[in-house]
Amino acid sequence: MHNSAKAGSDNRPGSQGGSAMPAGSDRHARGPVRGPRSLVGGLLLVGLAALALTLTRDLGQGTLRSMGPGMVPRALAIGLGLCGLVLVGIGLVRRGHPLDRLPLRGPVVILLAITAFALTIRPFPLGDVATPGLGLLGAGPLTVVVGGFASPEARLRENLALGLGLTAFAMLLFGDLLNLPIPMFPEAWAALFPAGWSQDGRVRVTAGLLAGLAAALLLAGPRREAARADVAGRSGGA
Amino acid sequence: MGDLLGNLALGFGTVLQVVPVEVPGLGPVPLPMNVVLCFVGCLVGTLIGVLPGVGPVATIAMLLPITFKFDPTGALIMLAGIYYGAQYGGSTTAILVNIPGEATSVVTTLDGHQMARQGRAGVALGIAAIGSFVAGCAATVLIAALGAPLTRLALVFGPAEYFSLMVMGLVFAVVLARGSILKAVAMILLGILLSTVGADLETGQERMTFGLPFLSDGIDFAVLAMGLFGIAEILRNLDQTESRDVVRQAIGRLLPGRDDLRQSSLPILRGTAIGAVLGILPGNGAVLGPFASYTLEKRIARDPSRFGNGAIEGVAGPESANNAGAQTSFIPLLTLGIPPNAVMALMVGAMTIHGIVPGPQVMTKNAGLFWGMIASMWVGNVMLLIINLPLIGLWVRLLKVPYRLMFPAILLLCCVGIYSINSLPTDILFIGLFGVVGYGLIRLDFEPAPLLLGFVLGRLMEENLRRALLLSRGEMSTFLERPISAGLLLVAVAMLVVALLPSIRRGRDEVFVE
Repeated sequence: MHNSAKAGSDNRPGSQGGSAMPAGSDRHARGPVRGPRSLVGGLLLVGLAALALTLTRDLGQGTLRSMGPGMVPRALAIGLGLCGLVLVGIGLVRRGHPLDRLPLRGPVVILLAITAFALTIRPFPLGDVATPGLGLLGAGPLTVVVGGFASPEARLRENLALGLGLTAFAMLLFGDLLNLPIPMFPEAWAALFPAGWSQDGRVRVTAGLLAGLAAALLLAGPRREAARADVAGRSGGA
Repeated sequence: MGDLLGNLALGFGTVLQVVPVEVPGLGPVPLPMNVVLCFVGCLVGTLIGVLPGVGPVATIAMLLPITFKFDPTGALIMLAGIYYGAQYGGSTTAILVNIPGEATSVVTTLDGHQMARQGRAGVALGIAAIGSFVAGCAATVLIAALGAPLTRLALVFGPAEYFSLMVMGLVFAVVLARGSILKAVAMILLGILLSTVGADLETGQERMTFGLPFLSDGIDFAVLAMGLFGIAEILRNLDQTESRDVVRQAIGRLLPGRDDLRQSSLPILRGTAIGAVLGILPGNGAVLGPFASYTLEKRIARDPSRFGNGAIEGVAGPESANNAGAQTSFIPLLTLGIPPNAVMALMVGAMTIHGIVPGPQVMTKNAGLFWGMIASMWVGNVMLLIINLPLIGLWVRLLKVPYRLMFPAILLLCCVGIYSINSLPTDILFIGLFGVVGYGLIRLDFEPAPLLLGFVLGRLMEENLRRALLLSRGEMSTFLERPISAGLLLVAVAMLVVALLPSIRRGRDEVFVE
């Protein structure tokens, strides 16, 4: 069962395919739980099934000939719950993988970065107050700088340069070239330009400024880092 | 035959069509826009194929908003180019770094990287490109030839047949999924369950929406796909310490010698045939092609011990198979309107944005689009041959970009991409949510791929199930009384039984371990 989980990205060096199993499973063999990972997975499925059954409580079942809105979701939830129960049973009976310690840094920081983007790209109402709409100009570098710290190797200067460079690129691609309806910058920023300027012109100048700033940050830093981030800027062209 | 040629002529006419494009400063300039888009798609596809950790699903979801700007033919040509371009690029990483750039190039690492260590990286890359090209050409002809008859078949399909066909597809997905069959079944059920969120098809009653207005249209497929394959993938990769072992030896000459060609010509043809057949199967059969081809080549080889030590057949066969499979997986989408995998489901999204309903009627109603897309695949394969071989040096440099600089870029493009589809900040929050949930599932050994396929087919399945039972007055036996439907279900049951037999299960595990 577990040795088939070998293909795909699990094949990378340093993956945790099944390496933790032998030593870890002895540690967890005490007590009634022999396969904690199956048990937790099973409980999760049972929980999801219970949630779905609760939410579809008020929907009509109908008959096979004319099904109500509740029939299919309910049948699926029951199936899901049964799968979960079998997994729980397996977790109790068969020796299996232990639970790995869940690293918190990645998920927390990435969620933070995504939330920051969602809240600042345009004003987002939170009760009586609203978050400021900074457009891509603010949300882009913010997301990259914050998100970059999901990796323990992150460096502030590098992330800042990357954020400014990527934002400039995204502005030109999504805003100028494709004309997608994304807020580019706050009103206050647009007002800084002379009145006769077109939106495209403002976007281009802003992107140019950002790119210049990114380049300046790199040049001011140590040489070695500059060379690396230069290559990265191009990879952002994906 | 005459029909086929006429249709292909229409296709190439569409691809090579020259349209005036407004270029700033120059005024309107006549450009073959579809060729340009095909080139961009192939280039982006190769790029993400080369970079491990960025797959075609997340990329196409990110670039979906681009389709607003172009006409549907051009947009689909570009998105298709990304998909099969990624198959080409994935092999480069497999050979040079021993990391599969894509899931389909896993087996290429075995002999391809060994060849690279022996100083024959160039030949391995060359034969992979040539094999992919041959496979791409054969698959293009196959799609063109099968398109018309399968479309006629689709017209006799009723709801019962559609439902059974999708059941078969999901069973295939379970059988082909890695790891526990039970967990794959659970993920498919969960995927279908997620697809039922939103207003009911007939009564319009809200189902499982928590009263949230933006959920009444259901969960957006692009949001789910980007969460599960963009964000969750970032989190999965962050767990792994990076150790990239880029080949230091010279890449060497790219063109294989006469002996190499003689050794690999038959494996290329066999790989093409295997990949093309498996690719047609609903349920993402394309993934199995390279494994099957490698196993076959090793079994019929005069000296199997050469495999794993740099046998050129071990590169030629699987590489041809993955490219053939990637292209023939368009067949179920274009003829029956059923997406066999997540990438094809995104294609459905791109089509519906432009008001095209995928299915057998596309071929008659949008003949230019249908045949144009098919012809573009051949054009794309020529381009990939050109992009790949001379640009190897650039791809190698890209591979040296550390992941800590790559993932913030993916993160930002995901956010911008998803926001520009619906202009909803809640969509951005949801990719975060699905990303973390998907990461949790991965850590518990659940694969996200079957979940996504269940989601893709879920709504169509419920619709067809309800319609079929309405027509049969509630008799479940309708699925067994109609011969085509019964046949499809029989195949599904047989596959499931076979996969559950202990002896076969061991064999299945071996295939994946190899």
